[in-house]
Amino acid sequence: MAFLKRYLLPRIVQYLVVIFIGGTLIFIIPRLMPVDPVQQTLERITIQGAFLDPRAIEQIREALLELYGLKGSLTEQYITMWRRLLRGDFGPSYVQFPTPVMTLIRISLPWTVGLLVTTTVLSWIVGNILGGIAAYYSTRRWAQLMENIAMLIRPIPYYIIALALLLLLAYALPVFPVTGGFSIGRRFVLSWDLIVDILKHAFLPALSLVIVGIATWFMTMRLLVSNLLAEDYIVYAQIAGVQDGEILYNYAIRNAMLPQITGLTLSLGQIFGGALITETVFSYPGLGTLLYSSINTGDYNLMMGITLLSVVAIATGVLLMDLIYPFLDPRIRYE
Amino acid sequence: MDVLRVEKLKAFYIMESAGEERAVKAVNDVSLTVRENEVLGIAGESGCGKSTLLKSLLGSIRPPLRHMGGRVTYLHRDREMDILSLPKEERQKLMWQHISYVPQGSLSVLNPVRRIGDTFRSFVGAHLDIQKDPDRFESLVRSHLQDLGLPVDTLKAYPHQLSGGMRQRVTIALATILKPRLILADEPSTALDVVVQRGVIQLLRDIQTEQHNTIVMVTHDMAIHANISDRVAIMYAGRIIEEAPVERIFAKPLHPYTQYLIGSLPRIGDKSYRLSAPGTPPSLADLPPGCAFHPRCPNAESICRREIPSLSLAGRDHRVACFLAAKEDADVGSSEALGSQ
Repeated sequence: MAFLKRYLLPRIVQYLVVIFIGGTLIFIIPRLMPVDPVQQTLERITIQGAFLDPRAIEQIREALLELYGLKGSLTEQYITMWRRLLRGDFGPSYVQFPTPVMTLIRISLPWTVGLLVTTTVLSWIVGNILGGIAAYYSTRRWAQLMENIAMLIRPIPYYIIALALLLLLAYALPVFPVTGGFSIGRRFVLSWDLIVDILKHAFLPALSLVIVGIATWFMTMRLLVSNLLAEDYIVYAQIAGVQDGEILYNYAIRNAMLPQITGLTLSLGQIFGGALITETVFSYPGLGTLLYSSINTGDYNLMMGITLLSVVAIATGVLLMDLIYPFLDPRIRYE
Repeated sequence: MDVLRVEKLKAFYIMESAGEERAVKAVNDVSLTVRENEVLGIAGESGCGKSTLLKSLLGSIRPPLRHMGGRVTYLHRDREMDILSLPKEERQKLMWQHISYVPQGSLSVLNPVRRIGDTFRSFVGAHLDIQKDPDRFESLVRSHLQDLGLPVDTLKAYPHQLSGGMRQRVTIALATILKPRLILADEPSTALDVVVQRGVIQLLRDIQTEQHNTIVMVTHDMAIHANISDRVAIMYAGRIIEEAPVERIFAKPLHPYTQYLIGSLPRIGDKSYRLSAPGTPPSLADLPPGCAFHPRCPNAESICRREIPSLSLAGRDHRVACFLAAKEDADVGSSEALGSQ
């Protein structure tokens, strides 16, 4: 019970506070943007050439304000928002009216999650193992070569790598498709063909993410382990003749892992915000693309839905981390 | 019989700053022999090179420390082995079964995320095939801990859950589990309170009586040397300046530095003011010419400022590196008979 009161309760309170503040910011920020969603919708109607007399337009405006939850003072709107959110209702999308935001998210989410969970976990595992090994054998030639490659990749802006891959492997050597998450016109019937098609489309975005991801995790892990190598318990084990493999895994990597696991949880939480640049460059139908178009069109509800999802995901990741940590590091106790 | 012979060993810390190399001469021309079954104490103040000497004896020389010359030869199964030129695998084989090491049992010396039992497993597993017979390993560790009077539950604990004294006992248990011929101990009692210190030193003594190992004990604490060492070597500024059986070091120190060192120790019932050596020890990166002690020495003569005295015999089993003490040779020789009784 002491665990519940002293450890769990404060963290759950903190969790709820973070989500509350996140929700509030998400409410305020879009309203500071110079895009007026009602005006946008009206423009879309008038642009089609329909002539409406000003009174009708005024009526449509009223109706739209009501629908979008933009009626009344800011305080009233704020309260309406929380009342809706607590019911799990993000409201309808303004632009793809009247599709609910939840439906749009549900369609995009699997693409993003599939792509990002795979690449994040893969680059985390590979980057950490290689980084640990390279730090432990830092005097070897191959370790220095790996470090130089990682150092070369790290500072390159991500979009350059993405575009370079696209140019190289989709345009110059058309091995992979240029855009999209699947071939246009394909029907979603589970088949071997469909899986291959999806994997083929996901390959380039995944490769770009994995290259950068491995280089990033590699560099941090290398630094962590090379700092640990001067620790007394590692020198002691080396003097005692403990084999290198044992020291590398159970002494160096095991200790360097702790901050890296925190890093992994945070990156997994960030997945729910989508990979904006990746998805834009590769026209991937994920959450990032959805978020980007919602910002462009002033689709408050959709923006809020995606951002809040991301806030909740990261906060949940941090909470889970807090709960798991004592199992990973015996020095931390539930007190 | 000598189980360990150190010949003209030099190990310097090479520091590079602003393109200039500076050598910190931590172990500077040290020669030493360790005899079978003895406890050799190495004493000296902080920063005189004791720990670096011990690291070199263990063959654990890593940058910025560099081996600049000399040999460290162990006698193992009638073979002489220079640990500093031995291939890594050979050195690993020599460690723990023949030579083992007791570090200071601070919190940082044991892997913080693994239980003590796992540390035993990796240390013993490096030298014995414990995969084949895990039960034998379990019973080996258990009976060893019981022999040393340590609770078997310690194996389930993490390092941070143990007291400083317990951690020190664990490092001693780790070092002695394979019954090594030689134990090198680096300040095993420092940072413990006196009651615990006594227990730890007693433990080492008991093990030595039981296993007949040879011990090299590095500590600045002269009381520990009086307690456990058979012979004591005094280090000053990277060199050994005096070496003698422990009774002689306390009864008749010859080097002026040793005299100050012994003279500064409190004695029961004696309330007189204790003098220590004036001044401070020199920087190992910038040693004075000649005898490193001459700036602090009350009797320094001109030769002391020019030449480095070598360690030479000044009585039975008593060697000293001092021009002035060597002069009193005859005097020392005649009192020898008294001193050894």
